[in-house]
Amino acid sequence: MTGYIARRLTFAVVLVFAVSSASLMLARFAPGDYVTESLGVNARRAAVDAARARYGLNRTFGEQYRDWLVGALHLDFGRSMQYDRPVADLIPERAVNTGILAFSALAVATLIGLPLGVVTGTRRRGIVPAAIRAASLVLLSMPPLLTSLFLVFVAAKSGWLPVGGMTSSGGEGLLRHMIVPVAALALPLVAMFERLQSQAMSETIGQPYVVATFGRGVPLSRVIWRDALKNALRPIASIYGLVVGTLLSGSFAVETVTAWPGLGQLMLGALRARDVYLVAGCAAAGSVFLAIGTLMSDAALAMVDPRTAD
Amino acid sequence: MRLFVAALLLLAAGCRSSTSSDSSFNKGSASTRGGELTASIRTEPRNFARLGPREATTDLVATLTQASLIRINRVTDDVEPWLAESWTRSADGRQYTIKLRPNVRFSDGHPLSADDVLFSFEAAYAAGWADSLQVDGKPLKVAVIDPLTVMLTFPVPFAPGLRILDNMIVLPRHKLQDILKKGALQTAWGLSTPPSELAGLGPFVLSEYQPGQRLVFVRNPQYWRRDNSGAQLPYLDRITLDVVPEQSTELLRLESGQSDTTASEMPADAYASLKRGADAGTLRLFDLGPGLYPDFLSFNLKPDAFAGDPRASWLQRDELRRAISLAVDRRAFADTVFLGAGVPVFGPVSPANKRWYWAGTPKIPHDPAQAKRLLASIGITDEHPARFTILTQKGRPTFERGVAVIRDELKKIGITVDVAALEGNAVIQQIVSGRYDAVYFNFFLSDTDPALSADFWLSSGSEHFWNLEQKTPATDWEGRIDELIRAQAVASDDAERKRMFDKVQEIFVEHHPMIYFVAPRIFVGSSTRLGNVMPAVSRPQLLWSPDTLTVTH
Amino acid sequence: MRALGLTLLAVIVAAAVAAPIAAPYAIDQPFRGLLNAPPTLPHVRDDSGSWRAPFIYPWTLTNQLEQRYEQDRTVIVPLRWFSDGHLVSSSDDGHVPLLLLGADSYGRDVFSRLVHGARLSLALAVAAAAGALILGALVGGIAGYAGGVLDDLLMRGSDFVIVLPAMYIALALRSAMKLVLPPFEVFALLAGIFAVVGAPFLARGVRAIVRSEKQLDYAAAASSLGASHARLLLRHLLPAARGFLGVEITMLIPAFIVGEATLSYVGLGFPDPVASWGTMLHDASSIRAFSDFPWLLSPAAAMFLLVLGLNLVVQHAGVAPVYNDTDGSPRRLRANSDTLRS
Repeated sequence: MTGYIARRLTFAVVLVFAVSSASLMLARFAPGDYVTESLGVNARRAAVDAARARYGLNRTFGEQYRDWLVGALHLDFGRSMQYDRPVADLIPERAVNTGILAFSALAVATLIGLPLGVVTGTRRRGIVPAAIRAASLVLLSMPPLLTSLFLVFVAAKSGWLPVGGMTSSGGEGLLRHMIVPVAALALPLVAMFERLQSQAMSETIGQPYVVATFGRGVPLSRVIWRDALKNALRPIASIYGLVVGTLLSGSFAVETVTAWPGLGQLMLGALRARDVYLVAGCAAAGSVFLAIGTLMSDAALAMVDPRTAD
Repeated sequence: MRLFVAALLLLAAGCRSSTSSDSSFNKGSASTRGGELTASIRTEPRNFARLGPREATTDLVATLTQASLIRINRVTDDVEPWLAESWTRSADGRQYTIKLRPNVRFSDGHPLSADDVLFSFEAAYAAGWADSLQVDGKPLKVAVIDPLTVMLTFPVPFAPGLRILDNMIVLPRHKLQDILKKGALQTAWGLSTPPSELAGLGPFVLSEYQPGQRLVFVRNPQYWRRDNSGAQLPYLDRITLDVVPEQSTELLRLESGQSDTTASEMPADAYASLKRGADAGTLRLFDLGPGLYPDFLSFNLKPDAFAGDPRASWLQRDELRRAISLAVDRRAFADTVFLGAGVPVFGPVSPANKRWYWAGTPKIPHDPAQAKRLLASIGITDEHPARFTILTQKGRPTFERGVAVIRDELKKIGITVDVAALEGNAVIQQIVSGRYDAVYFNFFLSDTDPALSADFWLSSGSEHFWNLEQKTPATDWEGRIDELIRAQAVASDDAERKRMFDKVQEIFVEHHPMIYFVAPRIFVGSSTRLGNVMPAVSRPQLLWSPDTLTVTH
Repeated sequence: MRALGLTLLAVIVAAAVAAPIAAPYAIDQPFRGLLNAPPTLPHVRDDSGSWRAPFIYPWTLTNQLEQRYEQDRTVIVPLRWFSDGHLVSSSDDGHVPLLLLGADSYGRDVFSRLVHGARLSLALAVAAAAGALILGALVGGIAGYAGGVLDDLLMRGSDFVIVLPAMYIALALRSAMKLVLPPFEVFALLAGIFAVVGAPFLARGVRAIVRSEKQLDYAAAASSLGASHARLLLRHLLPAARGFLGVEITMLIPAFIVGEATLSYVGLGFPDPVASWGTMLHDASSIRAFSDFPWLLSPAAAMFLLVLGLNLVVQHAGVAPVYNDTDGSPRRLRANSDTLRS
């Protein structure tokens, strides 16, 4: 067991470094750099060159990478050029903000999506399953930008909820401000979980084993929820990790529209501004999220069927 | 016509509580004192001291917390005394003796003296952002005469005079001198600076920065300015700037009352929402007339840009650009891109720049037949059609729509346009490296006064968009413009300056290196709480004079 | 149910294929004075109660800046059938066009752009889905089958793909290409990128399924009968994942369609005026789409119908997963849910 964990941990660290290095390298191929964008078209060439030298952007890739690597080994991941703060300060701050959203959305999606999927998977006919199915499909065909805009629109028109932002000016009100972004993130996930679980459940029920249990007098609901469900959790368990990993990068639409200062928004801004160290840091944070997620996912899979764990 | 009248009425209504064009104001009663204002900004500032290139949010923060020796009144476009109480000019026009206001203190209590002014100049020149503080490429000389008097010497007589000082804020020497000595001024007062470290001469002080969320400013108890009745400004207790990256969300916050105003203007399609709010009495809508800096279509006029390209025979010709200007129906352009809320423009200076706009700018008619004749004269006919690429930035609706209109209109005269919409940084990279046929873009000049935006007009300038930083003028008309701009920068007579700059515009319009189509009308919304608003057309339209704003509470 | 799904899909595909005929206008034909105009619904009874051949009422602009329109019910404009190669259009195309789903912000007919855009979006989604399917199923299948180090490598590789900032890759790719991209290159690039980005989701689920299927008796039996690894994987194990794959594909397809608009931000999209559901929805993404111009959201409705059709076709078409029987041995459940309840 410890060997397994050690291996996973090593892989995770390797992934973090690989992703950061790849980001730094890719930044070289993307047109423009931080100076072109921040100084714009109007700057004198001399000023541009001076600024480039000051940020160290005129070095060769080898030099730049070596300096970054040496720093990283001392846990100094460089400085953000946009914010002029160490990357290692910026990322955890924003990662916490996104983490709050992501894990809340995941919890909501699991608590709502899974049971809904069980319902629609075990009952083919009826108004309720059909309505749930239709709602899931509607949510899946809405682009995340539109869903976020719509929820913010509703919040503004109804007047119950704050329009955007993470806290009120005093720093309070986090829960109230969370409702819209969490809903925007969670709704497509609810739909996804519902669809996957529905498929898995419908493949599971109605078999000799289940019929036999039913025939023994065990109530149907217990058969579904206790016996069949466990086996049907496999597909969701397997992609849980990926969902966690992509919630980070996929949340930028929600965060931008709801003015939630999260990692997704930070990364998008850093990409646009070619703030290379910040991008590398965000990508690294993303891989940490993903590593946590896949670990959760593999643990869930092992729980669901111990035989398939290694 | 009805729309125009309605707009005028709205403008009048919006200005009801503002005063005449004179910057003095009378609303000093105790009942209007206090309260707080919330505005939304789209991006975070770069730093807290405007120690770098001009950028909208950083400028706004500097307006709130810092001050310069003079202030440019955004409504009248006049230079007003600010930290400088008065000044005299020498006979040769090169020396200014400036008297500072007495008994002024920084927000931390430290008194202002001429040493701070000297230091601020040193800092500006050392930080490397001082192009805007140079005349003819040379810096100004600053000398301290006594603790309240400074002498400024220009390398050559400079007509705008002290107007140039709008580019420099007076920084606290006691806070920043050590940083300057260490050579770290470039990165001074960044976003991680604790608010207690900052000191300024502006009406407000930064009290809190919540990264990614908001900046909170409170009244500066040491602020030097007083209103007509002698009450100390600012009227407001607090200003909060919320970071809201998405424009739709900004609009919703305004409508729902969570924000009092926005730091920049709203696009034309937000008009309907703002109007609804205004009709319902929950919002105020300001229609500020045409903007100062419309989008433009510019061609790559570097002499050897198209060497070896068969299109070189027509792609850089004046006739092509004139034909394009004739072929595009500016009314239809305004209708499609700005929902009709736009004013056709034909030259590089917008009519919103009342002081410098050449009233004789010829109005180019919509004449596709004439355009085709011009094209034929440079070899473009139905048998030899023309095709080129317009580069533009993705994600900016006015660019995308403008280019779509241009493309459709040019198709009618036999020119095929390919549109390459790239990401922002990529576009800048292409422009800077000179690899494009034509680009549809926008940028703001540093000042309405041509002598202060010489980098755009001069062929050697870094903003001379169609052919950046030339060593010698590539064409004789650019050479003539160079002479005129240099001459009007030293001319002492205002009428003479205007005459010369009118001529510059005339030459520009004759050769159209950049083609302008429509200047959009500027719309800004605010809550009904705001009082004493003096709306101006340049950003930040409602917040440029924050010390005189009031709110009802 | 399946029949309904197939019918829906057939209708959508038919509309896409027949776009030049079904659409009254070209995708880049703007109608001046009709920006964001509401739909002109065909009527057969006029206000006085008499029956007529199908006709429409014109919209007149009452306020340009607020984009308010009023329907002029005194003017009857009959529809025109089978002319100019179009199934139906208006008899006064210049002033009173037939806008079945209203006009977009450039004044172009939304319905025409919708059916033309269906071609592009459907083709892209299908190509990308096929690519993701092949790539994901192979990677997941091999990983689940082989186990051990190969499994770890493949899964970490797919993790790497997910976490890499795709925008940088897209930017780098875009800058390496010429300024004006021919549509086919854009299409191929987008399909490729989507296939690579979508594959890891499929791979993960397939891997878990294959891993458990591998232990069943039939797999051991086939292997002992001499089936090669490839045959075992392709003929026996992978098909067990078809239920999962079906559901995942139906979720990836709308994501691909919408993703095209996101990638166009780095310049890797179809240029205006090319119509695609993704860009149409993106252009419509503003508050006014909800309050004033809901017809701009018709691509979302079209996507819903598409996803509904797909879902009806693939659901319940899967294979039961493996469970552990009371004695601990792995079994696959047979039959379907219909036997449990009627």
